[in-house]
Amino acid sequence: MRVALYVTCLVDLLRPEVGFAALRLLEGQGCTVLVPPGQTCCGQPAWSAGDRPLAAALAQKAVAELEGFDHIVLPSGSCADHIRNVYPELLAGDPAWAERARTVAGRTRELSDFLVNVLAVEAVPGRFAGTVTVHDSCKGRRGLGIKAQPRRLLAKVAGLELREMAEAEECCGFGGAFAVDFPAISTAIVDRKCQAIAASGADAVVGGDLGCLLNIEGRLRRRGDEATRVLHIAEMLAGEGG
Amino acid sequence: MHSQAMFFRARADERVDNPVLQRALAKAKPLFVGKRAKGIEGLADDGMEFEALRQAAAAIRNRVVDDLDVWLEIFEERARATGAEVLWARDGKEICQLVIDVARRHGVTKAVKSKSMLSEEASLNEALAGAGIRPVETDLGEYIVQLAGEAPSHIIAPAVHKTLAEVEALFACHHGRSPLPRTAADIPALAGEARQVLRQHFLSAEMGISGANFLIAETGSAALVTNEGNGRMVTSLPKVHVVITGIEKIVPTLEDFATLMRLLPRSATGQTISNYVSLLTGTRRPGEAEGAEKTVYILVDNGRAGLLGSPWQDMLRCIRCGACMNHCPVYFSVGGHAYGWVYPGPMGSVLTPLYTGLENALDLPHASTGCNQCGAVCPVGIPLSRLLHDLREAQVARGLRPRRERLGMWAWGRLARWPGLYRWCARRAARYLAWLGGAEGRIRVFGLAPGWTAGRDLPAPSGRTFHELHSSRQTKIG
Repeated sequence: MRVALYVTCLVDLLRPEVGFAALRLLEGQGCTVLVPPGQTCCGQPAWSAGDRPLAAALAQKAVAELEGFDHIVLPSGSCADHIRNVYPELLAGDPAWAERARTVAGRTRELSDFLVNVLAVEAVPGRFAGTVTVHDSCKGRRGLGIKAQPRRLLAKVAGLELREMAEAEECCGFGGAFAVDFPAISTAIVDRKCQAIAASGADAVVGGDLGCLLNIEGRLRRRGDEATRVLHIAEMLAGEGG
Repeated sequence: MHSQAMFFRARADERVDNPVLQRALAKAKPLFVGKRAKGIEGLADDGMEFEALRQAAAAIRNRVVDDLDVWLEIFEERARATGAEVLWARDGKEICQLVIDVARRHGVTKAVKSKSMLSEEASLNEALAGAGIRPVETDLGEYIVQLAGEAPSHIIAPAVHKTLAEVEALFACHHGRSPLPRTAADIPALAGEARQVLRQHFLSAEMGISGANFLIAETGSAALVTNEGNGRMVTSLPKVHVVITGIEKIVPTLEDFATLMRLLPRSATGQTISNYVSLLTGTRRPGEAEGAEKTVYILVDNGRAGLLGSPWQDMLRCIRCGACMNHCPVYFSVGGHAYGWVYPGPMGSVLTPLYTGLENALDLPHASTGCNQCGAVCPVGIPLSRLLHDLREAQVARGLRPRRERLGMWAWGRLARWPGLYRWCARRAARYLAWLGGAEGRIRVFGLAPGWTAGRDLPAPSGRTFHELHSSRQTKIG
């Protein structure tokens, strides 16, 4: 099974550990994992900003890079949602690309979804002595139906106890450019998320999207919470939670 | 209403920092969300399923919107047959003119009003007052905001931004009594106090003005969905009743109305049905003890027809339940007034630019995290997140985005299509961010994106990009 790992631009730049954790998890399940060398960004920021021509150009670039694989896996619900749900529509009007975009979209999965629903993993190497709460990222939850997948995987992490926070599906206030564009509103929203995390009493919060996690971690630290760990699901499953 | 939507940013920031407003909002949100969740769960007890019902509701609304002209003609004909007068208004100005004309013809000096967001679009209260006709809001929330000299901040809970202490202060001042210490247990007493005042107005007003939740084409009726009973008073006590409603509010049959009613109260307040559901058909008939002697429908366009055939036609399905704002993280951070025009929250962020001009509400389509909680709860399946997105595209297409943003997007776009250069820049950026993060690995002030570090730190990377590390590992293995 040839799997392309699309690490996403945020992971590439800000937390490469997530990419390597995903890589180890997939290889540990016997996948032949390749990291297509030309990958940059799936184009979601252009799409969100309303720049359709640029979003379409970046979609074509990614489709060309990814179409030779059996599966395309991303450690991000939001980028996976973009490829799965937006690419086919974005390139629908272009006969040279429409079918190719649909094919790539159909083969694209978010990491936890892939591990559970394609690989049906039995065991994961991760171990974590403590309590963990899950933040459900919006695009993963409402775009891809990701809810049970991370929980089923976390249940396989030795020592880990799941402790759900209130309103786990509520937005963290990241929203890409929104966080930079409307800092006061974004901060007010992530404050509520931080309160929910604190109220859960969990030692760590886990999520599937680095954008949300950077937002949550950044706000927790600014509020003076140095203790709560913020980890990507790939890191937790691969055993980097400590 | 004169739009202040172009000042969204400043208005929102002010409200994020307003502790009184924040207290009021924090109290309201779990109530709205919890009640709606219960209401939707309750559908199963009655053997219904939300998704199926939502599709049926959307189909009913689409059927009307797809052939709106035909349905309007049917409604007009049937309503006239019941003895009602049907008038048409292109915009807010025409609404005011028509209402004032009707009022003058019938010697009206006071008009009692039940909730009508269209009258807010038209600034009707100001126009009536200017013409010497006293408008009195009778919905409790509307009454409160009228006393405060404000506009509603929510389409179904107009005074949701007000705390109990603020309402007590307003009532004491306007009802001519000294202020009292109040707790939540006193809320019924305060409502009773408003009732006493309003009763006099119900009995003395010559005109009642209401909106309509739906217009039923087959019977030429107006449907009103209310909880306080004021709607019944407004529509049956005064001799003249004026219904002001948008042209998109039609549903074909009573059966269709029943389908929509399974979703409207549940989505709005979690009720299986509202306290009052009124179907008003025509004027008082001989032998009837009550009812208006004169019924006038004012059917309003004010931008709606412009949405037909546009990428935003789906918005015309809206049944004004408020669920989108009740589940919106942005709405509950800033409150309704921040949005600057009549409609707040996600549906308002779609409607305001469409009804008042894209260039007059540039921030609203962007004031969304894209979480799509609104779309998930909408009872008529309006893809609100998507419509906001399409407004962003329309802004770009019309060259309305700031030059800096356009340049930045262009440069980033070039870079993202050129992997070699992209990698080189990413490596430089990773080193720079690692250096900025210093020993503690955390960036507290980031000049390139000051918005990020205004309220949070930026966890700094270690200094090497994934692709850099990965290719060096590959080389080692090779």
